[in-house]
Amino acid sequence: MNSHDLVIVGAGLAGMRAALEGVRAGINVAIVTKIHPLRSHSCAAQGGVNAAINPKDSWNSHAYDTVKGADFIGDEDAIELMAKEAPDSVLELDRMGCPFSRLEQGEVAQRPFGGASFDRTCYAADRTGQVMLHTLWEQLVKANVPVYEECHLQKLALDENGEVAGVVVYDIKNGNIFPIGAKGVLMATGGYGRVFQVSTNATTNTGDGMALALRAGAPLADMEFVQFHPTGLLTSGILMTEGCRGEGGYLINALGERFMGKYAPTKWELASRDVVSRAEQTEIIEGRGKNGGIFLDLRHLGAEKILERLPQVRQLSIDLEGVDPIHEPIPVRPTVHYSMGGIRTDMWGASPLKGLFAAGEAACVSVHGANRLGGNSLLDTIVFGKITGRKAVEYVTAQGAKNFPMREVELVKARIGELKSRRDFGLRPNELHHRLSTKMNQYVGVFRTKEDLQLALEQFPRIRKDYELIHLDDKSEVFNIDLLRAIELGHLIDLAECIVRGALAREESRGAHTRNDFPQRDDEAWRKHTLANWDVEKGEVALSYEAVRTVGNDNYVPKVRVY
Amino acid sequence: MEMKSYTFRIQRNRRNAEGGVESRWQEYKVEASDTTTILSALEEIKGHQDGSLTFRQSCRSAICGSCAMKISGRTRLACKTHVAKVAKNGVVEIAPQANQPVIKDLAIDIGPFFKRVHKITPYLQEGPESTKEVTKSSFDQVNHVTQCIMCGCCYSDCTMAEVSPEFAGPAALAKSFRFVSDPREGHKKSRLAQLAEPHNAWSCVRCAMCVESCPKDVAPMEAIVKLRTRMVAQGLNDGAGARHALAFHEDIQKSGDLNEFTLLQRTLGIFGAVSELGSALHLMKKGKIPSPFPHKADGLQEVRAIYAALEAHPVDVETKAADVAPE
Ligand SMILES: Cc1cc2nc3c(=O)[nH]c(=O)nc-3n(C[C@H](O)[C@H](O)[C@H](O)COP(=O)(O)OP(=O)(O)OC[C@H]3O[C@@H](n4cnc5c(N)ncnc54)[C@H](O)[C@@H]3O)c2cc1C
Ligand code: FES
Repeated sequence: MNSHDLVIVGAGLAGMRAALEGVRAGINVAIVTKIHPLRSHSCAAQGGVNAAINPKDSWNSHAYDTVKGADFIGDEDAIELMAKEAPDSVLELDRMGCPFSRLEQGEVAQRPFGGASFDRTCYAADRTGQVMLHTLWEQLVKANVPVYEECHLQKLALDENGEVAGVVVYDIKNGNIFPIGAKGVLMATGGYGRVFQVSTNATTNTGDGMALALRAGAPLADMEFVQFHPTGLLTSGILMTEGCRGEGGYLINALGERFMGKYAPTKWELASRDVVSRAEQTEIIEGRGKNGGIFLDLRHLGAEKILERLPQVRQLSIDLEGVDPIHEPIPVRPTVHYSMGGIRTDMWGASPLKGLFAAGEAACVSVHGANRLGGNSLLDTIVFGKITGRKAVEYVTAQGAKNFPMREVELVKARIGELKSRRDFGLRPNELHHRLSTKMNQYVGVFRTKEDLQLALEQFPRIRKDYELIHLDDKSEVFNIDLLRAIELGHLIDLAECIVRGALAREESRGAHTRNDFPQRDDEAWRKHTLANWDVEKGEVALSYEAVRTVGNDNYVPKVRVY
Repeated sequence: MEMKSYTFRIQRNRRNAEGGVESRWQEYKVEASDTTTILSALEEIKGHQDGSLTFRQSCRSAICGSCAMKISGRTRLACKTHVAKVAKNGVVEIAPQANQPVIKDLAIDIGPFFKRVHKITPYLQEGPESTKEVTKSSFDQVNHVTQCIMCGCCYSDCTMAEVSPEFAGPAALAKSFRFVSDPREGHKKSRLAQLAEPHNAWSCVRCAMCVESCPKDVAPMEAIVKLRTRMVAQGLNDGAGARHALAFHEDIQKSGDLNEFTLLQRTLGIFGAVSELGSALHLMKKGKIPSPFPHKADGLQEVRAIYAALEAHPVDVETKAADVAPE
């Protein structure tokens, strides 16, 4: 059996950054990833990464913006840590060779981003995530970290003491199911955008790590906070970066009016994402949209600026929407984009389940609270990749060898065998996925009500039943994506239930969670984190709550958010 | 939006017990509008008609590099290609990438491709040639090639890779150019020396297929040419490739055109030329080599003028490329 001190699941920015800590500490670390590291969804990040590197800026200001952006439900200790670590983490990447865009004298350039009081978003044109990902991958190659490529995590294995002892993995290339022993596991498996029908996310963003952690007994936090990005392309959901507005782009309705002034008189288009998405949705609901969307107008920026700063975005708009932003406004709408929730951890990335750590979008540390600021997620991955990596190294170094429960391997084999042996009369995975995801879009969108959420919740028993009946067209051993989609669908169902239950229970409006029936933020009753646990007996998600970690800074006392 | 019906002819591949690949063609009908991508059509097939159809994909936005495949004869990203644009008489033909082992249907083994990338030492190294100071334009060259997403389109369409599996390939070479151009890189000279060895920068036949098939406008061949220019500038010009380039230069100046047949001989000597004949014939088949009979180009004066101008103002391999070149 293969064994390592630390197994990291996920080779996005968070996973790879964490692996480097393992290498530096000289422990035996390995990565498991279901797609080649360079395919990880971090590559899709366009806009940039926040860090107070300008001497006129300060980490305090960055921390304050983040606390406010999070609508006062982020954990203040973790937010301060992230803001302090930001400049070093970004400049470290720069030293590794990341080609950030530059100013005349060679300093890393920065652009304005939503919800920020300073131009603190470092970028590389509109492909920041891609160059960061490629740079970290280069370092991974240099460090010779073993990578289990195209291997799909199936299960988190716990020993007789209920501590993490490794993982069970399915090798996509040949269908082998095998155990990997580890004293600790760090989950860096990214987000779950596929829970919704339309999202900016990759199709591989199925929240596997979150769902498997939940089933293994770790709590997920704040799952009801789902970020809707204001500018996903109308038909495909593909992202038009916030950098478009950072560079001066307008949002206009079908009447050609620039409407943001009504909703955010100071910041206009650069208000926080939740604010902008609500404004857009209001325009659409009140009949000033077109085909369920509004428009991102870049025309006044001129061809030269568009070509220099936003070339990729322009191309995507041409390729996917048939619209050239130089000549026409781009049809966009609020689109599911980011998961503020995730595996609950302390400020160092350790979950309450012994031996389980989490970083990046899969984790809820929580630095994003109820609403993430643009540019803070890439930052989250590299800062907490590093910090959590270190913490995990510390933990595994102090642990003795673990007993791997081999029956877990048998359970996974039996489950996969059963899925493949089903007769072909149930739904295809895709058909059930479609039903789940369209309901989520319909009932758990930008504006929520008790009635809608209840309707969504009532779906689950039926969906779970149908899930047990889905059938596969592909029964083969090699590269069976049909099988993986079926397994991933199971994860999406669990996560969707966490989101719906959390949203139904939270009777207030905060950040990305807006309840029409409870339009006010209620700090008295709801300034707390939702925890979702898997109730094994009932076979459903159960909720509990936990206080926000505060640091006693008067500036952070909740107030009304205006932009 | 108006929907039209298309036939997808897809190569289904399966490895048999002996390790060979069994292929057959299967047809599906798909409805598509003007902006429907090949990837969404494939998803439609997989989701509703045949869940066993296998292909890689992830980002849907031409940035993760997963979905490169042969579409109507050329390697393209399925998520960036419109059905309507590539269909011929309502038919779209899809096969896996070429020059790489097939695993199943449209999924290929990406191992050999990445092995080539690993070989060029794909990370920045500190060393005696590192400079700390950078300016806005320092990264202009670097920026251009870092647009590469390692999708493998170039490698699949590369005419040299087709005949020479040892060839490093366009993507790996373009990536090596990224390091040679980075002011922070400390071992530029030794990198260039390594790239001057066989099967690297000088092996490219400059057929420009990679430039055409690259979905991210990296223009790998340009990077390769710039590598060569730097090699010659470093005096790394006694290999076959450099001799080829110098002979090339001589031809153009003399006649305004290449005599590909004697060029080969001048580069490799007669024995080398015979052994390379395979690839030359191959190129000729693809229409990449003109008639073997020497002739003078019409605008010889102009060609000479271009040469004179270039000699007076050499190609600026340090700073030429624009920040991020759009289409
Ligand atoms: C279109 C888009 C644009 C964005 N732009 C920005 C931006 O400009 N600035 C910003 O700060 N943030 C941005 N974000 C958010 C940010 O990019 C992501 O939150 C972040 O990159 C997530 O990184 P990660 O390392 O957590 O996960 P990912 O990069 O998603 O990586 C997940 C990894 O987990 C692996 N994995 C998943 N499941 C399994 C499994 N079952 N078995 C094995 N491996 C598995 C995958 O193979 C992958 O390697 C953007 C997001 C999107 C979608
Ligand atoms: S799916 Fe990512 S490049 Fe096409």
